[in-house]
Amino acid sequence: MPITLYDFELDESCYKVRLTLSILGLKWQTVAVDVFPGKEHLTPSFLAMNPLGRLPILKDSGLTLHEPEAILAYLARAYDPAGLWLPASPDEFGQAMQWLIFAARDLDVAIAARQHMLFGGPGDAGALHDGARKVLDVMEDHMIERGFAAAEWFAASNPTVADIALFPAFALSRDFGIDHGEFPALRRWSRRFRKLPGFITMPGIPHYC
Amino acid sequence: MGKEGEWHPISLSESVESGTSAGVQLLGRELVVWRDSAGAAHTWEDRCPHRGMRLSFGFVRNDRIACLYHGWQYDTGGQCRYIPAHPDLVVPETIKVPVYAVREQYGMIWTALEGDPALPFRSEDSDGTVPVRSLYLDCSSNSALDALRTASLDPFQQSMVAEAQFRALGGNLYALSNGAHTLVIGIQTISETRTALHIAISGSAKRYAGAGQLHFLRWANDLRGRALKPAASNLHTAAQLSAGAR
Repeated sequence: MPITLYDFELDESCYKVRLTLSILGLKWQTVAVDVFPGKEHLTPSFLAMNPLGRLPILKDSGLTLHEPEAILAYLARAYDPAGLWLPASPDEFGQAMQWLIFAARDLDVAIAARQHMLFGGPGDAGALHDGARKVLDVMEDHMIERGFAAAEWFAASNPTVADIALFPAFALSRDFGIDHGEFPALRRWSRRFRKLPGFITMPGIPHYC
Repeated sequence: MGKEGEWHPISLSESVESGTSAGVQLLGRELVVWRDSAGAAHTWEDRCPHRGMRLSFGFVRNDRIACLYHGWQYDTGGQCRYIPAHPDLVVPETIKVPVYAVREQYGMIWTALEGDPALPFRSEDSDGTVPVRSLYLDCSSNSALDALRTASLDPFQQSMVAEAQFRALGGNLYALSNGAHTLVIGIQTISETRTALHIAISGSAKRYAGAGQLHFLRWANDLRGRALKPAASNLHTAAQLSAGAR
């Protein structure tokens, strides 16, 4: 049984998993789920796989996993024997986890802002926009400081699953009205990220670098 | 001479790498700043004459910038040179993007929206500058200036604490010093309610790269916290207190 990804093309959380699969050079099969407008992810067979009613869901040799950051960490541990994408050293592992949790919790407002703009999701447009700007500022501040230490990635001296988990919110920020002009350190990081072997795009992320 | 005819800083020089573009706003106008592969910076109106797409979303190839929408390519003079849908067409001279004067001084990219006036400050020292960061603030440029006038500045690697000195260098460029150390700060009026401060250290990379940059980054981040603290609500509280006292 190959790795199976239950996927919605326009979902940035599914994109994180597609990016990881591609960057790790894995083969996988995609099951396209009619999230919008079909709400197929809320049908009983999907709720049986993830009672929270969200994508992505990954199946691999008898294991069913949801939550994108957990899937990223699983794939890295299972298929990156060099241990670069989920570092083994306590320092770098701790920092990778810190940014994975930031991606899962604090960047939620950026996902909500984009959902609101593209699909009419709930929330106040102004509050979502301001909240998203604040968390992108946190990322920008971090990468300015990393730059002074000649470090190019969020958590380690090499790219990790944390960079993958953080990339979509910035790359798609124009979808919710935040231009990249005021984030020079994230622009530089994003250009480096686009050059990684196996990098792929999604709708809303132009293919030119 | 209106503000259009003044020089305004729109970015730190290091923030726009060769072969890349970025969108900036100045006096309510949208501009694209881009750097060609030879390293020269250009500031233009941020609009492709074809369909109005922002050129800052586009991509730089050698000495041209191409629109993301239909790939129309413009040379460094703003002149359209190539239209992919009509590869054999000699593009009419009328298809041209408005371009603005540009200079690089004190580690910042400067532009003027009208004409090409003389720079209002003397040229930077031979040691050059070391970049700190650009700060984007939800306040007017006057409020940002007030925050700078009252700012303190911890000295870097020296024990003697001197009083911070804030002074105008001319135009939209200012300096904040403590002892031997000087920050140069360019003020960009994005709109009436939004301001950017472009902050660099006057001196050599040998002296300030790394630890010096980090020291003044902390200062800049603190300044952002103070500048964004709503002074009006403090006044409001004071008024309420005095009303309560009556």
